[in-house]
Parts: sequence; structure tokens; C-alpha cells
Amino acid sequence: MTNVSKIEAGYSPDTETFFKIDEGWRSATGLGVSVAIVDSGIDTTHPDLTDKIVETVEARLDGKRVVFEPSDAGDSAGHGTACAGIVMSIAPGARIFSIKVLGAEGLGDGQAILAGLEYAINKRYQVINLSLGTTKPQFFAPLHDLLDRAYQAGCIVVAAANNLPQPSFPSVFSSSLISVVKSGETDPLNFGFHFGEVIELTAPGVNVRTAWPNGGYRNLTGNSFACPHIVGVIARLLERHADLTPFQVKSALYAIARQNRGQGTET
Amino acid sequence: MPGDENLTRKMRRLIETVDIANLLTEPLTRSIRDILRVSAAELGAREASVLIRDGAEGDLRFLVATGEVASKLLDLKIPAGKGIAGFVMSSGQPMAVSDVEEEASFYAEVDRETGYSTQMILATPLRHNDEMIGVLEYINRPGDQPHQPFTPDEMDKAALFADAIASLVSAYESAKLFRDLGEKIVGTDEDMEIDSIRSWLEDLRSSAEHREMMDLAVLIREIASRGDAERVLCREVLESVLRFSDTRGDTSFLSL
Repeated sequence: MTNVSKIEAGYSPDTETFFKIDEGWRSATGLGVSVAIVDSGIDTTHPDLTDKIVETVEARLDGKRVVFEPSDAGDSAGHGTACAGIVMSIAPGARIFSIKVLGAEGLGDGQAILAGLEYAINKRYQVINLSLGTTKPQFFAPLHDLLDRAYQAGCIVVAAANNLPQPSFPSVFSSSLISVVKSGETDPLNFGFHFGEVIELTAPGVNVRTAWPNGGYRNLTGNSFACPHIVGVIARLLERHADLTPFQVKSALYAIARQNRGQGTET
Repeated sequence: MPGDENLTRKMRRLIETVDIANLLTEPLTRSIRDILRVSAAELGAREASVLIRDGAEGDLRFLVATGEVASKLLDLKIPAGKGIAGFVMSSGQPMAVSDVEEEASFYAEVDRETGYSTQMILATPLRHNDEMIGVLEYINRPGDQPHQPFTPDEMDKAALFADAIASLVSAYESAKLFRDLGEKIVGTDEDMEIDSIRSWLEDLRSSAEHREMMDLAVLIREIASRGDAERVLCREVLESVLRFSDTRGDTSFLSL
């Protein structure tokens, strides 16, 4: 069977016979899987997140270099806490590492995102949540390079698309990462996969109730909140099969999404 | 110094430049406010506002706002990365929050300052030429609660309005840069006695000749806004006047 016919086989109605899914992921919790949240920091005192956040670091500009130092600055915007809350709701056994790149003084936005991603790859975190993006073309090549490094290192990067007229990076890269756009689905495990689309994954991202700084909760809408749903699912998959490569994870997501659609639950 | 003819001429040009830049910024903010009103109605939002980058650190300040507390908002600044607007600015990701409760959140600070009650926000980035230049926000729904949260469809529409507003904000910032530069030159030249310069400028601004220049600038702008044909004709007429002026001193019409 050629590669092409293998891909076509994925489209056939009996795709489940091609990809045999281990259903154990549905009851897994992402136990021990390391998840990096590259974002605005996390409020580690939130009841949903207490004892779940293993490490919190923050970007700081040292001359022309970005360095990461331990930080207890919390979350200045709420976004990182919200993302961590969603991951925890799906994979409560995961180990969360907060990499604060937004809100740091003197740092360019794109520069901070790149530095945070590189830090997470160097640390070999298994899943990296990147609910951020940039439209600046000068970051296209460095981001592409970093994502190739992540792919080769076995780190699974999940990025949020944006809904703006301009393309944003890295979500438009399709080969070396997993990109997610929001859907109105309310079942947190019911995601979709649209092969051939620039952004292949769809996951709940409309009016999602999740953690917010100072012990609160918010109902949030945005692709940013679809992204951590997929991160949580991947953490569950990795608990069952820690040696899955990024390519295999994507294939598994594809197979599960087809299963979801087959059951008539995917929108 | 003011008495110096050359300096006077230079200063006059500078002030005219600053005033023209001022004339440009006002219609731009008015146009932004118009789009905010129309788009807020389209999205079913009660208020809308535009925040723009303030300084190199990524802080934000309100440029235009609609609604009863608009004038109070215009004095407020949001530190880099803080609150929903700060996040949208630094991350480039739009988001909507449907229950901004009154607690120790950043918007509680803004509400305390303005006396307003923020319940829902839809915030989307303003981008121009791939650069983040600000944030467009829609606040609350009109009428009594309970309100429907902002929908993904409304989020997409907001992104389209943001595109149009970003172009106007960019034009505003160019005009403002012009104005600030002129004012800085006037305000920082150590060789000038600032107070006497300022008083001289005040006289100049109130002079009939200066007012005439301003009227002319407004007239040209008005003609240019009528359409391409009017703009081309206006340019040709003005260039013709300039050519006439250049040659008037040493050439007789009879010799042409």
C-alpha cells in the first residue's frame, strides 16, 4: 500500500479498522504528563489549580537576551489561568508548568512568545499550550524553525488559530504542530478534525466556564480556549502511551474525531 | 528669535504644519466614533471603545469611546499585559468574557474610576501592516439582564470592523506624530525663549493671515474629499498658480 492510499484509507468509512484506538484514554487523567502553558502566567492559588502547578517562570530581558526566572507574579490578565483551568478539567493528573511571556516589561510580544516556546522545548515538556500568535512576518522563519525542533524533540505544540483577516503564526503551519479553532460544541471531549483545512482541529471554545484569578470563574469565548481542550486530550493519550510521536498523536486525534463524528456527536 | 525674519518664516511653517495635523486628527477620531456607534449597533453592544498603544512598553490608553462615561475613559491608561485589553494587545488573540463580575479584577478598577458597570466584553486586536496598534472593545448589551453572551459570529464581525478602524487609527497616529514632532521642536529648542515664542505663536494663531491659511487648508481638504476628479482639478489649479507665482517676478505675459 502506498503512502497516498494510506491517507485515502483514512477517509474511508471503515477508518476505525485502519486506526485501532485504545479507548483507555477516555478514562485517563493525563497522570504525570508535563504540560507547559506559555501565556500570561497562572494564579497558582486558585482552588482548581492548587498543587497542580509544578513550576512558574517569567521572562525577563537581560541585555538583548531573554532569560527565565522563577516567579510568583501570578497572572496579570487571567488568560493563562483560564487555559490551565481547562487543561485541568480534562487532565487533572497532568503536571502544569507556567511560562509567563506576556506582561513582562521591555519585551516585544513576538520575541517573548518565541523565547517561551524555546524554553519549553529545551525543557522537553511533553505538551506545549500556545494560545497566542503573531502576524509579524519576521517571526515566520524563526517560529517555523522552533516548531521543527519541537517536532524532532517529540514535544507536541498545540496552537490557537485567530479569527482575524490576516494569517497568524504559528497556527497556520500545519505539519509540525496542532492548530485549533473554536466550535460551539459543549462536550469537552467532543472535538473535530478537518483534514485539508489550514486549521485542522475544532474544539469547544464558546462560553467555556473556567478558572479565573482570585478564585473566580468566567465564561469565555475564543480560539484560545479551544486550544487547551486538545492539550488535555493529548495529555490523556500520553498517559496511556508516553512514547507517541507528534505525528502519531495527530493521527490519533484524527481517528478519534472520526469516531466522534461517526457517533453523530461532532458538530 | 521672533524678530528674525528667517526664523519667523520657519516657525510659521512649523505651526501651520502642526495645525494642519490637528485638523486631520479631529475628523479621524470622529470617523472612528461613527464606526464604533454603527458597529456596536450591529453587534448588539451597548458601548464600544478603541484603545491604542501608549509608549514603547505596550501600555494602552483610550482614544475614542462611546456612551455616558466616554469622557472619563479618555483619561485612563491600562498597563502593558494587564486585564483583557492588555492580554489581547500582547497576545494578538481576540476573546469574549460574558460575566465580568465586580471583584478584584482589573475592570473593577476601571469601573470604580468611571462609575460604570462592566458585565460583558468582546475584545479584538487592531492590526495595521502586521503591527499591533491597539484593541477594539465592545461592552455590555443594551436593555435589562439577562443578556446573551457575545457569539462567535459577532466576534468575526468585530474582526472586520477592527480592520477598518485600524486603518483610521494608523492615519490618526501619523497625523499625531507630525503634530507632536512640531510641538517638540517648538518646546525643546534651548536657543529659544519659550515663553516669548509661545506668546508670539499665540499672536500668530490669532492673526487674520493665519486664519486665512487654515481656511485654505480646510477648503483644499473639502475639495479633495469630493472625489478623484475634484482632487486632480484642484491640484492642477494650485500647481498652475504656483507656476504663475514663480514666473511673475521676471517674466511678462506678453513674452509668452
